[in-house]
Amino acid sequence: MQKDYFDRVHKWGILWNIGALLTLLCIPVAICSYLNAWPEIDALLSIMPKLMGLYWLTAIVEVITYVPLLGPGGAYLSFVTGNITNLKLPCGLKAMEQAKVRANTEEGEVISTIAISISAITTTVIIAVGVLAFGATGSLQLLTEGTLAPAFEYVLPALFGALAAGYILKHWKVMIAPFVVGVLFLAFVDPTMGAGTLMFITIVAAVIGVLILNKANKL
Amino acid sequence: MDFKESPFMYAIALFVVAFVISQSVFFLVKSLKKAKELGIPKETLKTTMVSSAVFTVAPAISILATVIVLANALGIVLPWIRLTVIGNLAYETTAAQTALDFWGESLKHSVGDTQQFATIAWAMTLGSIAPLILLPFLCKKLQKKIGATVNKSEKSKKFGDAISAAAFIGIVMAFVSREIYSYTVQKTNVLDAAGNSIVNEAGQILKVKTITGSAGLMSILVLVCAIVFMLILDIICKKFKLTKLEPFAMPIAMFAAMGMAVLFTYVLPENLVNHTWFEIGTELAKIYE
Repeated sequence: MQKDYFDRVHKWGILWNIGALLTLLCIPVAICSYLNAWPEIDALLSIMPKLMGLYWLTAIVEVITYVPLLGPGGAYLSFVTGNITNLKLPCGLKAMEQAKVRANTEEGEVISTIAISISAITTTVIIAVGVLAFGATGSLQLLTEGTLAPAFEYVLPALFGALAAGYILKHWKVMIAPFVVGVLFLAFVDPTMGAGTLMFITIVAAVIGVLILNKANKL
Repeated sequence: MDFKESPFMYAIALFVVAFVISQSVFFLVKSLKKAKELGIPKETLKTTMVSSAVFTVAPAISILATVIVLANALGIVLPWIRLTVIGNLAYETTAAQTALDFWGESLKHSVGDTQQFATIAWAMTLGSIAPLILLPFLCKKLQKKIGATVNKSEKSKKFGDAISAAAFIGIVMAFVSREIYSYTVQKTNVLDAAGNSIVNEAGQILKVKTITGSAGLMSILVLVCAIVFMLILDIICKKFKLTKLEPFAMPIAMFAAMGMAVLFTYVLPENLVNHTWFEIGTELAKIYE
């Protein structure tokens, strides 16, 4: 039964994935046809190796990291809609934690996908309405310059603080190792390290912490 | 009319929006159907949906705010399209700037050349499609391997749960650590008095590495506020058995902490509000590349 459902998710995911790829490639084709202006081959040959060297390698790491955490349905959706680390990932994790289900079980898969699809719809609608309603008038500047600007400047500490607190009561012992290792790594090795790379180190620290706590019977 | 904001560009954007919403609705419907088969209570599904929507509002508005960062150079429609599919601000900015480097131009000016605009659109697209090419090959293999591990650890449920929680906690702690001590840098072109990029004899462009963001007092205060609000709400929910409020505790804590950021900004002395571990705007290095 489990095999059937996951296999179906992969089938749907791959089909939508191909659709997304075609849609994405159609965007520059449509723009070029409309403007009757095509990119210089020399320009693309100079630009693309720089971008691909950076982002195609990152993509391999992202796929390996996020698929096990979000489950296939959530992953297929998240990689099309983007903004994974700052939105889809915390949203999926929060939903699975609240529903008390684990990723990569059928229940986890279903809950993660529901949360991410709702999140994707909400984000897409908010951005579309925001651009259509306020984009032309320039009033979107209020979000970065107005009275409420600090609220949006600090959305990440607010989001991850609330998410971390959800684990404090249940797993505070497990939190110590990744927290200490994460801060020390940033302080003494590389303060510019992005969360996407740092999470490899903090996940390993957390798992080692669990193994030690388990051995000492303190879990 | 500016070609970057023509009705045709809006039509492309609306098509992309329709695609993303269709895919999301498709997976939502299929998941809800499967959830029914699995016997997941309706209440759980309802709270998952409502709390996910509420949870998304603030980050989505902050993504909307990033659209305008690129709007000055690219118009509002292309950044809107890009931030609706795959994109994120850091990537789109890098892709657009790398493309403009070819002509020695900068994102500080509005792109008025159609060929440059078309090249940027291609660069943004081709640089970001890698996950969509990789997923069909890797997703199934990864899911099978992880699925087998998860099912094996059922034998020792408590230990399995802890390992699974450890992975989640590891991710959350990576972000928490960055709010405590980190900074971000951005490379931009150095412009001459006439506003043009400076190019050396080898055709390399002079770039400056500048600190654009840093953790500091405010990021830590907001982080602590979010944790405290969440713990208080959690305790209230449990003590008064407010099960209906429980799924909204996290978004409420998040909004409250964001509100505190506004309050701190206007109440605390300016030197405290602006206190960061690394001074924003500091130039770290100038290099030709």
